[in-house]
Amino acid sequence: MAAITLQGVTKRYGSVTAVQALDLAIHEGEFMVLLGPSGCGKTTTLNMIAGLEEISDGTLLFDTTDVTRLPPHKREVAMVFQSYALYPNKTVAENIAFPLKLRRVPKAEIERAVAGVAEQLELTPLLGRRPNQLSGGQRQRVALGRAIVRQPSVFLMDEPLSNLDATLRLSMRSLIKRLHHQLKATFVYVTHDQAEALTLADRIAVMRGGVVQQLDTPEGIYERPANIFVASFLGSPQINLLREGLPRPDWVAEGRDVIIGLRPEDVARPGEGLATLGGRVELVSPLGSETQLEVALSGGSVTLRVPKDWRVREGEALEFGVDPARLHAFDAATEQRIAP
Amino acid sequence: MARRLMLALFSALFVLYVAGPVLWLLSSSLQMESEITAVPPNWLPPHPGLHNFSAIFSAGDSAEYVNRGIAGFLPSGAANLLPSLYNSLQVGLWVAALNLVFSLTAAYAIAVIDFKGRRATLYTVLATRVIPDIALVVPMFLVIRNLGLINSLGALVVTYLAVTVPFTIFILISYFEGIPRDLYRASRIDGCGHWGALRHVYLPLSLPALVAALMFAFLTSWNEFLFALVLTQNVAAQTLPIIIAGFVMDFTTSFSFVNAAGVIAILPPVLLAVIFQRYIVSGLTAGAVKG
Repeated sequence: MAAITLQGVTKRYGSVTAVQALDLAIHEGEFMVLLGPSGCGKTTTLNMIAGLEEISDGTLLFDTTDVTRLPPHKREVAMVFQSYALYPNKTVAENIAFPLKLRRVPKAEIERAVAGVAEQLELTPLLGRRPNQLSGGQRQRVALGRAIVRQPSVFLMDEPLSNLDATLRLSMRSLIKRLHHQLKATFVYVTHDQAEALTLADRIAVMRGGVVQQLDTPEGIYERPANIFVASFLGSPQINLLREGLPRPDWVAEGRDVIIGLRPEDVARPGEGLATLGGRVELVSPLGSETQLEVALSGGSVTLRVPKDWRVREGEALEFGVDPARLHAFDAATEQRIAP
Repeated sequence: MARRLMLALFSALFVLYVAGPVLWLLSSSLQMESEITAVPPNWLPPHPGLHNFSAIFSAGDSAEYVNRGIAGFLPSGAANLLPSLYNSLQVGLWVAALNLVFSLTAAYAIAVIDFKGRRATLYTVLATRVIPDIALVVPMFLVIRNLGLINSLGALVVTYLAVTVPFTIFILISYFEGIPRDLYRASRIDGCGHWGALRHVYLPLSLPALVAALMFAFLTSWNEFLFALVLTQNVAAQTLPIIIAGFVMDFTTSFSFVNAAGVIAILPPVLLAVIFQRYIVSGLTAGAVKG
């Protein structure tokens, strides 16, 4: 097992800085997710940890060993790619065995390891096939198999589920989570999918423009977003952000220019201890288990998710309650969170 | 309909234009001298026979100028034909092999490794091929002479490599760049160094390009005339094109003998093409990455 420490890690391509003085301590056995929109530097960070990209500045430690200048094959990490990256000229068994073969593991041992991994990932009937005879989900399982067969201490995953369809993505997500529990290795997982990040991570580092915006547990990121970017990046539908029309939490100083955030699900029937808001329902979208509403308030329009038994119709007036403690406040100028 | 007819007609004309000389070469190599020079010409051999070929293979045993009766005569230097064939083969194989070694490593470095001056290296290598060969003949002669290689097969191997390596690098780079980068990354993670990545990823996946490079180098060296003429002056190192051209420059020309020699000169490249054509297939990377 290995802890990964990035100290002031910077990546520059000519005059462009992709990752800027990144400090990040990933604990041993932790599932760390790097989350952010495309171009935020998350994959570059992962590639630097893997050794696939040179580090322009800063230090990278595995435990206490400096690996900053170590080539990838000497870092003992395993990686799963979005594109699967299976060797097309090798069979499934050969693909999985490849990392062991390079390490000159005895043949009998390789066979045992491959059989074990195949069993674990339900690949046994496919061992003789080539990658072009497999479906996307099967290919990604082979890629996972190739990664786990070496039992490395660090797993790097670069959007491994992005090319799979929605159902498959869910089952693969739980497979990865189970693997993490079984292997107890350090996982670094890159994604732009907030649902993946929230379900898988022990901690999430939300990145933008090569800078970590917030590093926290999924709950911390969702409940206490550090700034407007993080608040809007997580949550579906997006958090409602209004300058006016939402109650001002009492911890925000009078006269300060703020933006108030309200998560769509943080609403209830008007009641005791709740601030009551009213507006006109502009759009009703039933989602089965619940209903999504767009409601025009005095300060702008908000999206709400309410239980399906609310029975609202478009054009009607609606009153709803908001717990002021559940509101988020951000400084309008700096966009940073104003903590209670 | 008329369009198709025109297309068929032009195709036939084109095939005739391309294949005509080869067919005539084949046909005349099986004819006697008098039959070749007859008017009107004999398109098909009236009395086909292998006498010209047997003359080539027995030329080493006979004197310089031999009358072969109605079959024709042997040009002076006929005895050099088989040794020169062997020279050509040696040079061709060396060039094909060494060309691949140099080009593979260079193309891998330029296509895969991110080093300073990568583009500049590529352009410099390619720029050497912008200069016409004729302009290089004298400098090349001086270099080879100072290396003490004049009149040796080594002279030709070195010179031909200078011609083939830049092009081969160029071919391989574009092929390598088509191989998904993630495969390289995966191989590095799995435990390959640069040699390992070259061996396990780039070599097996670029087989068609490698075969093309082999053929290109062999054929270039097999057909080359200008440098061979200048750099070799005796039988020890002269290649097939020089010797065959020598037959024509005699004060008389034995068409039957020259054409039979021509057929022999065609055979190795054709054989090579037949052997390797099954490797020139695309689609080897299917299934590597999503797409």
